Amino acid sequence: MMNPARRATRILTLANPFSKRTRTSAMMDRYTWFEVVLIYLGIFVFLAFMLAPFVEGFLVSLKPLSQLFSTPYNFWPENASFEAYVTMWDRIPYFALYIFNSLLIATAATLIVLVLVVPAAYAFARFSFKGMPLLLGAFLAVSMFSGAVLLIPLFRLMRTLGILNTYWAMIIPGAAFLIPSAIWLLRTYMMRIPPELNEAAYMDGASQFYTFRRVILPLARPGIIVVAIMTFIGAYAQQFIFALTFNSKTEFMPLPVGLFAFFGRQEVVWNELMAASFVGIAPALVIIFFLQRYLVGGLTAGAIK
Amino acid sequence: MGQLSLKQITKTFGTFEVVKDVSLDVHEGEFMVFVGPSGCGKSTLLRMIAGLEHTTDGDIVIDGKRVNDLAPVDRGIAMVFQSYALYPHMSVFENIAFPLRVEGAPASEIKSKVESAAQILHLENRLDQRPGNLSGGQRQRVAIGRAIVREPEIFLFDEPLSNLDAALRADMRIELTRLHKQLGATMIYVTHDQIEAMTMANRIVVLNAGDIAQVGAPLELYHKPQNTFVAGFIGNPRMNFLPVTCKEVTDTGVTVDFNGQRLHVEVEAPPSRRSQLAGAPLTLGVRPEHITLGGGNASMTVTPSVMEYLGQNTIGYAPLPDREETFCFVLPGTQTVPAETPIDVTFSTADCHLFDSDGRALPRRANTADLGAPALQIERPTA
Repeated sequence: MMNPARRATRILTLANPFSKRTRTSAMMDRYTWFEVVLIYLGIFVFLAFMLAPFVEGFLVSLKPLSQLFSTPYNFWPENASFEAYVTMWDRIPYFALYIFNSLLIATAATLIVLVLVVPAAYAFARFSFKGMPLLLGAFLAVSMFSGAVLLIPLFRLMRTLGILNTYWAMIIPGAAFLIPSAIWLLRTYMMRIPPELNEAAYMDGASQFYTFRRVILPLARPGIIVVAIMTFIGAYAQQFIFALTFNSKTEFMPLPVGLFAFFGRQEVVWNELMAASFVGIAPALVIIFFLQRYLVGGLTAGAIK
Repeated sequence: MGQLSLKQITKTFGTFEVVKDVSLDVHEGEFMVFVGPSGCGKSTLLRMIAGLEHTTDGDIVIDGKRVNDLAPVDRGIAMVFQSYALYPHMSVFENIAFPLRVEGAPASEIKSKVESAAQILHLENRLDQRPGNLSGGQRQRVAIGRAIVREPEIFLFDEPLSNLDAALRADMRIELTRLHKQLGATMIYVTHDQIEAMTMANRIVVLNAGDIAQVGAPLELYHKPQNTFVAGFIGNPRMNFLPVTCKEVTDTGVTVDFNGQRLHVEVEAPPSRRSQLAGAPLTLGVRPEHITLGGGNASMTVTPSVMEYLGQNTIGYAPLPDREETFCFVLPGTQTVPAETPIDVTFSTADCHLFDSDGRALPRRANTADLGAPALQIERPTA
């Protein structure tokens, strides 16, 4: 272990972009002072666009409702309190159920996608078969349609199948629209696994399935986790439109539709709406944070050469 | 056991014939090296023996049994890949144990077999590490460990040393030769490096564009190449080829005209071909290391354009008039031969090779044993 004082200076020198002597970065990664300023300015502009709504949303959730419509508008809250985080549970009794529904729908869609996509991506990455480019192209083309365009045919399809107003009405189309991009993503990852490993396993007597289970799956794990995260986020984000169209039962509603309850006839309870949004995405954030710990890069190091 | 026969093996990709009608017998316990330039089909041939590629035509026979349609394991074959192909997420122990795990061997047996393989390959202290933390040479040994743990009858090596640096390659050559003696198994080794071929092989198969150019012991190929391809491929720098005209064919050899000199080369010319040979253009082959300054009974004047002084020897390259290839000569030790200055070089007809216009050699009369070649370690079949 480095002693604390030295560690502190080291962090300082690394963080200081103008120090020339102790820099360890490669020559081509060095910038002049105005380049550094420009880079950070650019980062700041785009971060502001991305994060400002979140900051304001959070501040709104702390304000009493009356303050929201005062003129002039105050960005910073006076007498900030977390009251909205308490009262929202009373206004919408089903709130916890909505969060659960959201997680259930997103998790179920993610699991379905993974079960279908992992073998499919492996097949597309490793084997060449008739019609493969056509199929891949079709997947790409399908994913260019937004689910919204296909709402009416989907509605008729699900009415025929009799699954309107069930969880399946939200899970199945959710999963279906996420499969194409997941296949493309995971296929690209799996193509990086050297085919020599398949040949070596075959020479050692392993069956196709044994090789898949013991060699390919462990090596594709980082890619599978990326796909899982992307699919989970996608399923979480797109459920609003499917839920609104294919489901009319309150007890199956996911969070985004549930938040509609804060839109009253006369007024919108903005502070509780914001509070509910932040509480609602918290479980999803925790799950994603948890999955991300398993993202280990460079798993194939040492396989060949 | 471990006797392999190839019977008229052919492999085509589309319309391109990669391996053409190759027949070959590999004896039990033999170290056989396939050598040839890139694209000569040597790797394809090995992959067909391994069971990774189908044969278009012909039979692969191991210990008297046709194995064309058998999986590699059922052929009793293990292979070491050029890229090692180690499983990066498994420890060295699990990498070596993989074939045994596939078989479903009991844990105690796996442990003892992996440990004995690790001992042979000096990997005892590395068993817990991942391949990513090993050096190139150690990775190569893990790959070999994975092959020997199943105790196959035939080992296949696909250019296993080509990713190592020169010093390590020399060490691994000796290791592999030692391993072959220790295991006594049949080994088939593919390389494009003639030094690996010459140093490790019991017999070498030289492949040229999908055909076997010659099969023989290393020094047999060096001293008695059967055609210009083998003559040029084996030996470094490559053999010089000079155009000559046949003057006279007798029982003791062929007399040729070389730049006005009459040279008598001791080769065998069958009586039936003698009339056809007389007056015909022939190719005289002489290796760079047999060129001297003075001595010998033939001489020529060359003007070296480039001289290389390596300390251990001195190499000169001289363009020949009206010929594309340059004339090369190797002189022992450090000799002061200035470039761009004409010098007289000499050679002895006893060191010369003669090839007909089709590139086939007229067999040299000299006995291989008299040329300093040791007797073959492997008994040749009588049939």
